[in-house]
Amino acid sequence: MEQVTLGIRMMDLLPKFFWRAIFCVILLPAGLVHVSAQEVVQVDSVLWPVRNGVESLLQGSTAGLRVKSWSGEAGIQSIINLRGLSMDPTDESTMPMILVNGVPIVATPSSVTAINPLSYYTPDQIERIEIIKSIDQLAAYGVLAANGAINIVLKEGRSGPLHVTASAFAGTNYLNDFNYRKDAFYDFNTTARRKVYRPQITHSQQAIIDGGGDFGSYLFGVTNYQDNGAVAESKFTQQSLFLNATYHISKQLKAQFYSNLTLANRKGRYAGGYERGLARPVLSDETFFMDDNKNTAQLSSLRLSYQLAPAWSVSSLAGISYEGAKRDFFIPSDVLDGYVRAASAAVRRQLISVNTAVEYRHRFSDRLGLSMTLGNEVRMTDNRITSVDGSRSLEYGGSNFVKVVTGYNANQTDALSGHDQENLLSFYGLWNVDFNPDLKLNATLRADASSLYDQKWGFYPAAGASYSFKSTLQLPLTVSASVGKTGILSRPEVYRGELTAFGDYFSGNELGIGKLYAAFEGAKSIDVFQIDGGISYAFKDALVLSVNYFDKRYSDFTYRRYLPNIYGIDYRYETGGKLALSGVEVELDGTLIQNDRFQWTTNINLASYSNAVNALPEDPANTSFAYLQALQSGDALTSIIATEGQQARVIGNSEASLFGGVTNTFRYKGFTLGLGINYALNADVAAESFSSRYSASQVGGFFPLKTAETPYYFVEEDADGGTVYQGIRSIENGSFIRLGRAVLSYQFGSFLQGLPIRQAELFVRGDNLLTLSAYSGFNPEENITGIRRTDLFSTGMPLPSSVVLGLKLVL
Amino acid sequence: MTAMNKKKHIIYWPVGLLLVAVLASCSDYLTLEELDNRTVAEGYYTSTQRVEQAVIGGYVDLRRALLTNHAWLMYGEARTGELQVEVAYYPKVAGQQLTVADRQLARLADWEYFYDVIYDANEVLRLIDAADGDVLSTYHYNLFKGEALALKSMAYFYIARIWGIAPSAEEADFGQPMDEAMAIERAAGFAREAHGLLPWILLNDDQIESAAVTAVRFNKTAAAILLAQENLWLGNDQEAYQLMADLATEARADSLSDFGLAMGKDERGGVTEEPLNASMVSISAANLAAIYPDGDARQGVIFRLSADEQKATFIVRDQERLGLLTINEHYLLMAEAAWKTGKLEEARTWLTEAADGGTENYSELTEAEFGDALLRERQRILIGSGQRFFDLKRFGKVSAYLPIFSTADIQNGAAHWPLAQRSLNGNGLTQHSYWEHE
Repeated sequence: MEQVTLGIRMMDLLPKFFWRAIFCVILLPAGLVHVSAQEVVQVDSVLWPVRNGVESLLQGSTAGLRVKSWSGEAGIQSIINLRGLSMDPTDESTMPMILVNGVPIVATPSSVTAINPLSYYTPDQIERIEIIKSIDQLAAYGVLAANGAINIVLKEGRSGPLHVTASAFAGTNYLNDFNYRKDAFYDFNTTARRKVYRPQITHSQQAIIDGGGDFGSYLFGVTNYQDNGAVAESKFTQQSLFLNATYHISKQLKAQFYSNLTLANRKGRYAGGYERGLARPVLSDETFFMDDNKNTAQLSSLRLSYQLAPAWSVSSLAGISYEGAKRDFFIPSDVLDGYVRAASAAVRRQLISVNTAVEYRHRFSDRLGLSMTLGNEVRMTDNRITSVDGSRSLEYGGSNFVKVVTGYNANQTDALSGHDQENLLSFYGLWNVDFNPDLKLNATLRADASSLYDQKWGFYPAAGASYSFKSTLQLPLTVSASVGKTGILSRPEVYRGELTAFGDYFSGNELGIGKLYAAFEGAKSIDVFQIDGGISYAFKDALVLSVNYFDKRYSDFTYRRYLPNIYGIDYRYETGGKLALSGVEVELDGTLIQNDRFQWTTNINLASYSNAVNALPEDPANTSFAYLQALQSGDALTSIIATEGQQARVIGNSEASLFGGVTNTFRYKGFTLGLGINYALNADVAAESFSSRYSASQVGGFFPLKTAETPYYFVEEDADGGTVYQGIRSIENGSFIRLGRAVLSYQFGSFLQGLPIRQAELFVRGDNLLTLSAYSGFNPEENITGIRRTDLFSTGMPLPSSVVLGLKLVL
Repeated sequence: MTAMNKKKHIIYWPVGLLLVAVLASCSDYLTLEELDNRTVAEGYYTSTQRVEQAVIGGYVDLRRALLTNHAWLMYGEARTGELQVEVAYYPKVAGQQLTVADRQLARLADWEYFYDVIYDANEVLRLIDAADGDVLSTYHYNLFKGEALALKSMAYFYIARIWGIAPSAEEADFGQPMDEAMAIERAAGFAREAHGLLPWILLNDDQIESAAVTAVRFNKTAAAILLAQENLWLGNDQEAYQLMADLATEARADSLSDFGLAMGKDERGGVTEEPLNASMVSISAANLAAIYPDGDARQGVIFRLSADEQKATFIVRDQERLGLLTINEHYLLMAEAAWKTGKLEEARTWLTEAADGGTENYSELTEAEFGDALLRERQRILIGSGQRFFDLKRFGKVSAYLPIFSTADIQNGAAHWPLAQRSLNGNGLTQHSYWEHE
């Protein structure tokens, strides 16, 4: 009764024309109940990889989601791209937004330990993963998810008093068909590298206890994981303790609490893994080297939801995602020819978010339904780095380690402390209307204000519609279209300008300061306009073919303009530049054969993308986009640019134009065989030459052509600022098709009768079992920039294969 | 009806108030005050000490301009070959091969650091006027303004003398090229204003007069010497004479101070903290003998001969400071101003005074001989201050001392340092014709 009264009062608060306007202008043409995923990956139904990291689970599973296994180092994150593009190759702006149970998390690897934060969540914990890529759903995240979003939804306890799930596996990593001549390290201390690669173990143990009832549900567990990669004396270990609990405090009020504490440790003992440019000869096997990386991570979230009235509910979701990362690093004197070097760095990152929403649902009739969500989100990001880095020559006596510790002093040590903060305030509204069951309309409007800008607010609207021909034409065909805008935050804050210290004066008594760059009041987020169109056809209820098209237009990137030398400051900030990314995604997903004994399910997906630079700032040579200056409008952003003669030329494209995966699962009686293939076609790799590298002054400014190599070269700068020409040996086709995952398992059904075991499964899993490629190196995806450099900068370690044997029991 | 309207008003106003409160708190939430990885300019200059940091920034940039790659010598006594600097590119500089592809030579050709000084000075001028009234006392306002103007004047003066052209970095005509005379005219204007503002002796942080602080910051003596130099370059001899005569009064004797650059660590690399270090800067025995006749006492005061007597190095009395505008020059400028204003007798007296320790008798110098004698004494007294090449330019003696350049070469800009490619590209300038063909 009180609620009804309250409702009447609220209606009275505002004049009637206001409500009419709401219904006519906003509610009727639009609507969205929840930000529902475009694609959902049910984790129990996909093939689980040996390697941890949620992205490994998704590789090849969804059209348009590219997961590049660029490095074989254990605990390293694969590159994740979901319709993402950025003009700045040095930042993380192509990474999709990652959420856990709707809570945004710190998902990118820290700059010091490079440990993958997505490794903190094991497949056993995960119910499903929502892949969000269409604009009408992404706009709900405003400036946070222009490159797509991935929401990891965790399992809740099943109803019943108690379930215990225990699983374990153990096996080996090995370099499949390893030929040292194919190794990217080839020609750099080859003997040592041959010695350092060896089969290593990987194993995991996990226990989960769950249960549920009218009171709610609970699930908690513990995980231990170890992956020693394929390099001697290196290893990655990770332990997690997690709890996911819901509690029905009353009929109206429900609370959900999630917590995950993870310790992760990555040890490198391999000089080549850190510094590929060490002067030869170095150690015979290069293994004595300390690189100790430790992460401590915590994710805690609390969701409270309250049903105000049958149509009205309110919920609030608060989350803290925290990661402390620390690296200790030491190179002994026998590697550095009489010098020892030690460094230590720590990064602390935290993301606090609170998202509160009011939701209204109403069915006007059987034919017309409406839902509306109005919400507010607050995000606080706070990251800090502290590092010291020192070296000194050895003195007689004492151990190397003692010497380096005592060697720290002010003159020999570089210390650094950096701090980044950002606050974001957002308001959003989501509207969804359905007419008959055929037509669905939705609309989103989000306003984001960031502390990064003087002009705080940005607005992100989107609208979409889908229509099913099932009832009108009796066709199992659905078409959909949407249009809208999102954004990408530019970093860091530049709108207030920055002062910097020039130096000491008067015996260090005075500090001289001045302007590093002037205030840039025009700083703003990158705008991303996107349109989507799609069609899906269900052959049977269990098999669906879908084809989707998207087109994204990026504009207003923030860049530096380097100023002529009479300005007194080196650069100022500007915005400009336009990019385009478009593509077609095709997916066939479902069950091909289903009978009492045999089931065959399949997922075949492919994506064909192209990207282009549509506009560069005026005079790009004097901007931080100078590396793109050779591109013409329409050229791909991912072009590999080199020089021929004296002219810059596009010699390839580092991005695949076609990629995807094929997953087939066969079940016969208790046996399950799963095969997961992923592929990428038409990516180019420019392999630098080991033998044609010249100082420009030595060759008179002309690159000497070499037979059996390409006429192209890169122009680089050496440590002394001299110009160097680096020849390109070959431009290779980086296409590949890979048997990325395979699983053979057996469920002990009837054997368990009489035993206190509900379910038992014996399995053999394999990762990266076979790769077909014309690429001359070991792993066609190992070069992040599409350039296999002689110093192996941005090139990963060889990707090992893994085979494990495991057992899963449910009690 | 009236009652209803009234009721609505009562209900709506708290909603509006709430909205205003929410939006106001949003504004606070969205402006981070503690960005401890960076210092924003807005709101920083809230105290005298902080404004002073900006002024000191100008000195640090001037030091960067003059000490990076031993630039002050490269533009001066290294270019004339009198002093030798132990760097790989020195022979190119002494051989006038200034356009050879070399990273350090390219650095020397770039006037960027001098323009940094001008920018710093203009920032100081802007922010002292924008600062709240209680931030700066009248003393500090005048001091900082005077220092900024003097720094700017000195930077333009160097640019004009080194490159022979100086685009304006002033808001009114930004980017407009000025020829040498125009630039120095402008520089003199700034110095004149600075001279009026600067104190003779500066106060330290305890508000006590400090000779040490005065010696590393612009003061009235330094501004007078700078302005006199500029006036003599422009032919404003009378003003130069008056300025120097003012310094020469007995009442002023205790107030005069040198000005030099204080040493310290620079955030950028390549800025020496020991500019005249014996391992870097030396003079050959032959050059030493050519400059100082036998018996000239100043040789032994300024230089220390090596054990093999093949070369000599500077006796550095103050490791913390590099002198730029010294009282030593006062008498030389006085002599020159007197000579140029037709007071030969007085000029002889001042030159004799300046050349204390020398062997020559200047009491009988004729009008025609005076210039050469003055140039020689300037060389002897000011060696190591970087003024030598400028003196040769001012006295029209470059080709006489550096026969590699013909008179025609000088007319084509050979005495100017070649403009850096960055200067040409960014500012729409053309290279001096001599260097264009080199």
